[in-house]
Amino acid sequence: MTETLIRIPTLETERLRLRAAAPGDFEAYAAFRAEPRTQVLGGPHSRSDAFQMLAALVGQWQLRGYGRWIIADRTDDRPLGVTGIFHPEDWPEAELAWSLFGAAEGKGIAQEAALAARDFAYATLKLPPLISMITAGNTRSEALARRLGARIERDYQHPEFGDMRIWRHPSREDLA
Amino acid sequence: MIPTLTTDRLTLRAPRLEDFDAYAAFYADPDATRFIGGPRDTRAAWRSFAADTGHWHLKGFGWWIVAAAGRVLGSIGLHHPPSQPDLELGWLLFPAAQGQGYATEAASAARAWGRAELRPARLVSYIDAGNAASIRLAERLGAVREAARAAHDPDCFVYRHPGAP
Repeated sequence: MTETLIRIPTLETERLRLRAAAPGDFEAYAAFRAEPRTQVLGGPHSRSDAFQMLAALVGQWQLRGYGRWIIADRTDDRPLGVTGIFHPEDWPEAELAWSLFGAAEGKGIAQEAALAARDFAYATLKLPPLISMITAGNTRSEALARRLGARIERDYQHPEFGDMRIWRHPSREDLA
Repeated sequence: MIPTLTTDRLTLRAPRLEDFDAYAAFYADPDATRFIGGPRDTRAAWRSFAADTGHWHLKGFGWWIVAAAGRVLGSIGLHHPPSQPDLELGWLLFPAAQGQGYATEAASAARAWGRAELRPARLVSYIDAGNAASIRLAERLGAVREAARAAHDPDCFVYRHPGAP
């Protein structure tokens, strides 16, 4: 089947391609979901759970018209992480989310990808100011939220992830 | 595009956001879902609903919503997650829609599509040994119970659907 069954746009940045998840991403995604550090994301998860999560990541595009991409290396298409708009039914609002697979950390990749995703969310999807939900103690993500200009708005108690904070991103107008 | 199938009384179409409330209400019912991994809270129901939808993109097949006259009756589909050895035809019908032959009608259409498009060497349904309604449906569809239970879930019988492509 050459044409994909769910329409997902592709974005490009200097170093990255944000594209639809593909079957070939599963091993990298499952390895990431099995890492102990995914505790802050409700993990670690089995391969079976990881498959469901990857499928759900794609399925949200069909259901909501927006969702998350695989962050891929622009030169060789290698999957490096995930970013985009995460919005499950139990979430308070549409969230700008990001996570990097281990080897890709520390190179500004999450920031480059999240900025592209946020720009798309504002310019094309016309979404209102986004939130990011960050588990207490996830200092790496908090630092990135700050670099992206987001501010802590309030505490949030999640039944599975525990203590979280809701960070509010600048609006489209704020960034203009 | 996710294909739409039509039968005499039913439409099998892509899941939509507005179907979720009915799906979540179904999965919140412990009696109705005890043999199919329920009950699930909203969070878990969203994940399975979105995953059943996204499965189309990753594998080229997945789950449909079964609707009649604008009413959502359940969901049916073909899936093959890594935990399962074989391609599976699965179904769930909301209690209000049961007993009217809808599941048989929908399952026949989904199976015909699966055979024509995917040409699988094996097509099975994994059914909990206590799920009498689904066992009856599998038998009406001509599926035959295999000797061994499902390797990934010993609570389940393996019903093999007939007819090599």
